Amino acid sequence: MFQNRAEALALALPAAVFAAIVFLAPVVILLAEGFRNADSWSLSAYTTFFSDPLNRTVFLRTFRLGLMVTAVSAVIGYAAAFAIVNLTPRNKGQMIGLVVLPLMISSVARTYAWIVILGRTGIVNQALQLVGLSDEPIRFLFTETAVFIGLLQLFLPLMILSLISALENMPKDAIPAARVLGANWFQVFFKVILPLTKEGLVIGGTLVFTGSLTAYITPAILGGSKVLMLETLLYQRVTVANDFVAASVIAFILIVMSFAANLLLKRLATARNKR
Amino acid sequence: MTPRVFSPLVLFLVIGFLIGPFFIIVAASLSGGETLAFPPQGFSLKWVAKVFTVESFRESFAISMLLAIGGTAAALVLGVPASYALSRYKLPFGETIRTIVSLPIIVPGIIVGLALLRYIVVPFGFNITLTLFLAHTALVLPYAVRVVSASLNNLRSDIEEAAVLLGSSRAGAFFRVVMPNIRSGILAAFILGFVTSFNQVPVSLFLSGPGVRTLPIDMLSYMEITYDPSVAALSALLAFMSIGIVFLAERFLGFSRYV
Repeated sequence: MFQNRAEALALALPAAVFAAIVFLAPVVILLAEGFRNADSWSLSAYTTFFSDPLNRTVFLRTFRLGLMVTAVSAVIGYAAAFAIVNLTPRNKGQMIGLVVLPLMISSVARTYAWIVILGRTGIVNQALQLVGLSDEPIRFLFTETAVFIGLLQLFLPLMILSLISALENMPKDAIPAARVLGANWFQVFFKVILPLTKEGLVIGGTLVFTGSLTAYITPAILGGSKVLMLETLLYQRVTVANDFVAASVIAFILIVMSFAANLLLKRLATARNKR
Repeated sequence: MTPRVFSPLVLFLVIGFLIGPFFIIVAASLSGGETLAFPPQGFSLKWVAKVFTVESFRESFAISMLLAIGGTAAALVLGVPASYALSRYKLPFGETIRTIVSLPIIVPGIIVGLALLRYIVVPFGFNITLTLFLAHTALVLPYAVRVVSASLNNLRSDIEEAAVLLGSSRAGAFFRVVMPNIRSGILAAFILGFVTSFNQVPVSLFLSGPGVRTLPIDMLSYMEITYDPSVAALSALLAFMSIGIVFLAERFLGFSRYV
């Protein structure tokens, strides 16, 4: 450790000042704008925002989709992570590579694929008509289902990766021990695996939930103006109605959620380091 | 069902769900037909070729490249000294400074873009390209600090203390002793920053003006008006670019150690 404080500040301040000016200041002013009315502090922007049924629908839909994506990715994530940790080391590395791979691809490209799959002339509709399950193309695009599928595909890797590291840190003989003592797989999962990997589940869940909550591209491409979520609503309020007050309210909601999630993750990380 | 039967099936389905759409884009972009379809109608490279002839794609590709390379370089110029101060010095307000530089990862990008548009571009008539550059620099800064810090923390600090004791200046010790040892960490930070910046959408959403927009934003607006496979072709090309970069980085740097 070097003790020279002036030198330390000279090295660190440019980055901090840059982030404060380019980043912190404009965002804080934007948030403050939502709490101003004429020349005084007020919550009127918030009451106006939530009195509009459309805004309420979008708000609830965003949370509902976020929770659904998190829950489903947890179920799939456990199955996939469990299968991956039981592979031979070589295969495990390759599988983890395949799980990480989509994270490197632009989410515009990843979301665009679902247009090819779910569109009017997409694979799913062709298959349905071929088997005779439907005479006319079914509309999948611009439905909540499409947004749900898109978000799940986008964020599932984060859940799988968190659960893999949680399962790997679990004592190796916990599961065989439970089996020997007569537990069925259902009991093994709820009484042994789940309690021992709770932390990984919370980490993965937080990443997936905040990711879904603050997604823009997926609801924009697969939901359009029919299935607005908070970020697409924000964009629409600004570009269509020039309504910066509503934008500020949405921004505040999103930031509070992100910070809460981040705080939770930090807590977990420090708790783990202490052990 | 026992895990023995169950596991391969689960893996097959999950990996198919995660990777499958990527193959479909590649297949759709090789279609000979006029509209986006799968299975592709015939085989042709015309849509891949078309990508290179669309004027706006060329312009926005150049801008995205400039932002990704320039922004990441600027973030490293700010981030490397900051990481050094955070890991080697008793830094006053160290935790506060760490939080401030890592904020851009926490705050959703769309909010940053909007805030910059409203309080910097509009009132001061700030140039859009320059604002985009500042925004992308801020966005990459947290990654730069995180990766370089990890790399510095893996390096024992007594070697530079030894260099100072042997008469080197502090700056000399940094450039001659520390830098060569964290070079691959810096390169890893550059690659991660590049990919992050290049694929970034929300920050740039509000920051586009006449003739100035990033490639992903350009793709978004192109697909709103046209339903031909050229966006699929471009998506596939970009995906191959990202995968190639990350693959090389992993191969030569052991990229995953840093991320």
